[in-house]
Amino acid sequence: MKAPFSSYLNDLIEPLKWVRDALLKEYEYVSLLASDSVGFALRISQRAKSVSNQTMTTERGIVVRVMKDGLYSEYAWNAFDPNKKEESLEALKRALEAQYAVLQSTQTKVYPTPTIPDEPCELFVEMETEQLPETTDMSKLIDKLVKLSDEGMEKGKNMLDCNVVAQSTHVSKLFLSKNRYLRQSYVYSEGMLAAMAARDGRNEMSHESLSGRCGPELFDEFESHLDSVLNTVLEVLDSTRIEPGEYEIITSPEVTGLIAHEAFGHGVEMDMFVKERALGKEYINCRVGSDLVTMHEGALCATDVASYAFDDEGTLAGDVIEIENGILKTGICDALSAVRLGTKPTGNGKRQNYAHKVYTRMTNTVFDSGEASVEEMIQSIEYGYLLRGMRSGMEDPKHWGIQCIIDRGYEIKDGKLTGKVVAPIIMTGYVPDLLGSISMVSKDRETFGSGGCGKGYKEWVKVSDGGPYLKAKARLG
Amino acid sequence: MHTLVELLNVSHADAWELIERENQGWEFYFIKHALDQNRVRNTKTIDIKVYCQLEEGFIGSASGCFSPSLSKEEYEKEIAQLIENAKLVKNPYFKLNEPKEGKKQDNGAVDVSMIAKDFIETMQEVEETKTEDLNSYEIFVDEVRVHYQNSNGVDVESVYPSSMLEVVVNARKEDHEIELYRMYHSGTCDKQSIKEELANTMRYGKDKLIAKDTPALQKADVLFTTSAAIDLYDDFIDQMSGAMKYRQISNAEKGKPIIEGASGDVFTIKAVPSLPNSSMNQAYDAEGAPIYERVLIEKNIAKNFIGSRQFCYYIQEEDTFIPGNYEVSGGSKKEEELREGNYLEVVEFSDFQVDTFNGDMAGEIRLAYWHHDGEVEVVSGGSISGNLRELAKNMFASEKQKQYNNYKIPALTRLNDVIVTGITRNEED
Repeated sequence: MKAPFSSYLNDLIEPLKWVRDALLKEYEYVSLLASDSVGFALRISQRAKSVSNQTMTTERGIVVRVMKDGLYSEYAWNAFDPNKKEESLEALKRALEAQYAVLQSTQTKVYPTPTIPDEPCELFVEMETEQLPETTDMSKLIDKLVKLSDEGMEKGKNMLDCNVVAQSTHVSKLFLSKNRYLRQSYVYSEGMLAAMAARDGRNEMSHESLSGRCGPELFDEFESHLDSVLNTVLEVLDSTRIEPGEYEIITSPEVTGLIAHEAFGHGVEMDMFVKERALGKEYINCRVGSDLVTMHEGALCATDVASYAFDDEGTLAGDVIEIENGILKTGICDALSAVRLGTKPTGNGKRQNYAHKVYTRMTNTVFDSGEASVEEMIQSIEYGYLLRGMRSGMEDPKHWGIQCIIDRGYEIKDGKLTGKVVAPIIMTGYVPDLLGSISMVSKDRETFGSGGCGKGYKEWVKVSDGGPYLKAKARLG
Repeated sequence: MHTLVELLNVSHADAWELIERENQGWEFYFIKHALDQNRVRNTKTIDIKVYCQLEEGFIGSASGCFSPSLSKEEYEKEIAQLIENAKLVKNPYFKLNEPKEGKKQDNGAVDVSMIAKDFIETMQEVEETKTEDLNSYEIFVDEVRVHYQNSNGVDVESVYPSSMLEVVVNARKEDHEIELYRMYHSGTCDKQSIKEELANTMRYGKDKLIAKDTPALQKADVLFTTSAAIDLYDDFIDQMSGAMKYRQISNAEKGKPIIEGASGDVFTIKAVPSLPNSSMNQAYDAEGAPIYERVLIEKNIAKNFIGSRQFCYYIQEEDTFIPGNYEVSGGSKKEEELREGNYLEVVEFSDFQVDTFNGDMAGEIRLAYWHHDGEVEVVSGGSISGNLRELAKNMFASEKQKQYNNYKIPALTRLNDVIVTGITRNEED
């Protein structure tokens, strides 16, 4: 079935066109983004259960962007009454005038920016899904998740709890400018299954996640993850700490995705080029990785939680080759940064929600596959670790440092896994060194889209990342 | 709100909570000192949580967040759906908060435009040099209004200012330029504090330009002198969370030590209703409970669990609330004593984290001072890691405290024998 576009937004189209037209009399550029996204979040554990209509991206609200004399301004609100559109227009004007008065009194200079090109475009997309979050049989789904948690407790050893999280969101967005009229509707879902265990005063947890641009049918896959989550938490309970040092490593697709995201995901967000905050700007067409490294970024390069039809500035989704055979080719760009840099936007202008500013943000960031098998990669290592599971990462686009906190490492000695597990692991290093050391790439490829991505310590958006298994060298501690 | 209260009262919910949040937010984004963009946020959200009595001893609940654009009919439908969902989610019974008088918070009138103006002027006045300056900054100023009501008759309102300043500082030497990132939270604009913090940041920036690779120390004593130390003390605070205790993640027992076998300093940690210019100075928490002073840990002995009504009820902890501000007592040492011997003073992390579930801590070093044999080397790269629950047994802190928004903690904290993963490449070179 097709995910139907919001009827609430349909009712706003004409009133919002009126607001747009009224503003166009005073401003050189006007655009509006209206969002109406609904969903559910279920959290089931042995100790507590909850159900909510709120996920990371559920929202209903409007943001207007205007430009006059080179200054872009925005007004975001969520109490729009189509029958009182004149009042909303006046409130918007008053609010921005009050800000302009403060800017004038502080003699604030403006960063002059040209007008965003407003190429004509009309689009209406309702993407396919099997189910919708708003019509899901919650009783059946909650029963299934409760049984899964119970089964985890029965089958697992040393269990404290078995947590299941299931979230599904039906996104509807309307974008209007003078020449663009875009509407999209799609559903994405994500889930997490976690085993929490304790032994001899030591607590450990393992988790696996699910995600996809699909409906709650995704949660049928939970069952197949239970045994491995239960086994992993026991491995982590038996784990020791790694001896700090530099090792040969194999990254699982989840860890590969974390590297993609932190290394040349954030590193080539071109709003950082405008501020001279990213080293990537000076390395376009330069080598940043081995010949085996090719990386794509874009809402169209994978089908996962960030695979939309257009971004929050009304730019159509793209698929950019950021790194090709080790050479940095280009970055990703929002519309405002693009006019400042004299380039084209890539469909990566995203907001946390209607109330937040647009920044250049990632969508799907994925390493391309290679030719090796995982077995060949393990056999090629004299001493090192196979790294699995991600906890968190942090970008450093200015200096190309990388921090990845990884769940666990499996020791490899003389080409074989020894069964020894170390956890947790902090992997740090210099991005070109890490990517330059990639010497084998596997055939398979996966993406992961649970969780969120911040810019600095705020502005959380949905992204996915992934790739194949990679063999490289890295500093682990 | 009246309509919603009426709708909830006539619904089939056995109990309910209603929270209306209004934000009047002003935002200014700067590149250097030129305005990149200005924004206004005028938003209102309505959170509704309904409860249904299930079989004896159990209660079901469901929550929803709604926009004010819903009609009365739409709210009726949404409330009915929440009630249906609540019947599917079975949790042990607990009672919502009852009306209780809270300590008044005098946040004064919130003038968003005046606070924003203060921030803009403060940033314009920051002293910069040819080699150290501001790359960019973002100013967020909010007037927050929270109105909480529940079916037990609690009806309380808090109005407070909440501000955030994100700053990126550059330092350069010839062709080499580095940056340091800062984020400050506060109630209003504290001009003096921002200027001092940024002056320090510029000093760190200058030092980072000459930083060498962190040596492969294997283990070293680590001195925390910045806000990263909050994460250390937060781990103790989390041990006293009612939710963590009920979920069996916290092993804390009232009357027993938080750190078993502590041979270092011991700490007293309190939840406090207010700290000067904190962005968390509210009279009531998100569940309508008044916020007051409460000792969580006294000289390393667990005293009181705290947090949301549901989980505290389950562990028979009465009269609790969700705190906004915390104060950690000073330690036993003077700064000079904490700076004796060899130690690594880390002043910039990529992202220092402590895992509340098991105490594992880790962070990449972006800038540190390696104090050894009477010398100080500026270093960068590598990481520190270890398990805080083990390391805290031999943890020392300064008598002097320092406030970071809603935390007042010891100004300096020293952990011994932390794993330091340095960079061996330079040694080989």
